[in-house]
Amino acid sequence: MNEEIKREQYEKYLRSTHRLGRIAILLTLVMLIGAPFVFGAYLKAMPDIGAFAKGFMSIGIVYLVSCIAEYLIYVPMLGAGGSYLAFITGNLINMKIPCAVNARDIVGAKSGTAENEIISTLSIATSSLVTIVVLALGVMLLIPLQPLLQSPALQPAFDNVVPALFGAMACKYYRGNRKIAAVPLIVMSLLFILVPSLTGSTSFMIIPSGAIAIGLAYLFYRRSARPSETEVRS
Amino acid sequence: MNILSQLNSPFIYLVCGVIVLFVALLCVVFAVRAYRAGKAIGMDVTKMKRTIVASATFAVLPSVGILLGVIALSGSLGTPWPWLRLSVIGALHYETQVAEAAAEAIGLGGLSASQMTAKAFTTIALLMSVCIMWGMVFSLFTCKRYTSRLNSPSPKKKKEGKGVSLAGFGDQAMTAMFIGLVSAYLGSYIGTLVSGNGLFQFSGSFLPLAVALVGAAAMGVFIWIRNRWNALWVDSFSIAGSMLIAMTAAIFLGRLA
Repeated sequence: MNEEIKREQYEKYLRSTHRLGRIAILLTLVMLIGAPFVFGAYLKAMPDIGAFAKGFMSIGIVYLVSCIAEYLIYVPMLGAGGSYLAFITGNLINMKIPCAVNARDIVGAKSGTAENEIISTLSIATSSLVTIVVLALGVMLLIPLQPLLQSPALQPAFDNVVPALFGAMACKYYRGNRKIAAVPLIVMSLLFILVPSLTGSTSFMIIPSGAIAIGLAYLFYRRSARPSETEVRS
Repeated sequence: MNILSQLNSPFIYLVCGVIVLFVALLCVVFAVRAYRAGKAIGMDVTKMKRTIVASATFAVLPSVGILLGVIALSGSLGTPWPWLRLSVIGALHYETQVAEAAAEAIGLGGLSASQMTAKAFTTIALLMSVCIMWGMVFSLFTCKRYTSRLNSPSPKKKKEGKGVSLAGFGDQAMTAMFIGLVSAYLGSYIGTLVSGNGLFQFSGSFLPLAVALVGAAAMGVFIWIRNRWNALWVDSFSIAGSMLIAMTAAIFLGRLA
């Protein structure tokens, strides 16, 4: 197929993805914010706006900052379709981001390409559907499943889903990037050892850790690009 | 009728179920569109199918973990609302924190059914919705511009000829950002072990770090199998398999903790 036609089709897809994504987000926001008021009408107990404002000032601001950081970091990883869907369906750090990165790695898609856009969207949509189905089945079977899932013997397993995930991901990504991985891992370990209270703000610590890793990756990238620049000059 | 019976009433299930169904349909629409667009631009269908299989297997275990979040919150907020929150927009580690903080902010001693009232529930539900909606709000207003800028170098850089080389760096930057993310979490597990119960006491929980190490070792074995026998199919199950092994190890290691 002609490259020009392919490019046009992809750009058309991207334009319609933005349109669909915005409509989807708008509808989801209306439903999520509207739901407490619908419950309020049903239960004859509307939300207390004064208490809501007080609560928002104490906790909402913290999550606003966190959401800005997440937005800036994850959109470049996920592309347009993946981002709209990921921010609607949530569970980014513990599922959507590693899942999309893993899928991208399996098929060898490069960031910023049409292939990455498609793969990310497929990955986020599939993982979201699996979560929705598992939760729906879980809720339907809540009574028979509850004793099993909450049994003390299995608690350590379910308390450590994220460490299990990041351990496996670390092996996969540290292998080929040892020089980049060593410094942020050492710096973060030292920070968490010297300031133990930071463990409550791990999601915020992703920003300096990511900045160190990107800075190092850029240094290595420049160094590897230098000989070719010299060749060009000569 | 007590508060939990009210919060678990068929009407609340119906409202939450409709929203979950809407989001499920969205996922199907996005997936079908992406698949068709991939075919239209000549992408390898096998790669797309591998992505679907790998993502589905990847998502099962974390989803069971998320289900536990629903169970944990259902004792105080009923089942349908936590089910909705953790199916749509919510995140396992945020939802419980926000619900707890919201309960305290509105004057409850904590998140418990004994102190819950209908008014407290609707206020907490509204706070939970608003506190974590910002990713959606930013996507609504800036995603198009942000992704367009990411995919095209600025005119200044283009003029200087830097755009092309930085575009090549984009892929490495994404991998580096992910390495940063993983390093922050692994660092926190090391910090918990060394200083979790006081500076350099080495008496904090070793479990998260040990589980991460088992997960890494299991992944190492999967990578070895893949490379040794050129078994590409292993890629689709390696993360889920490593997690299963690490979580099973957590059950045994948990007895030592």
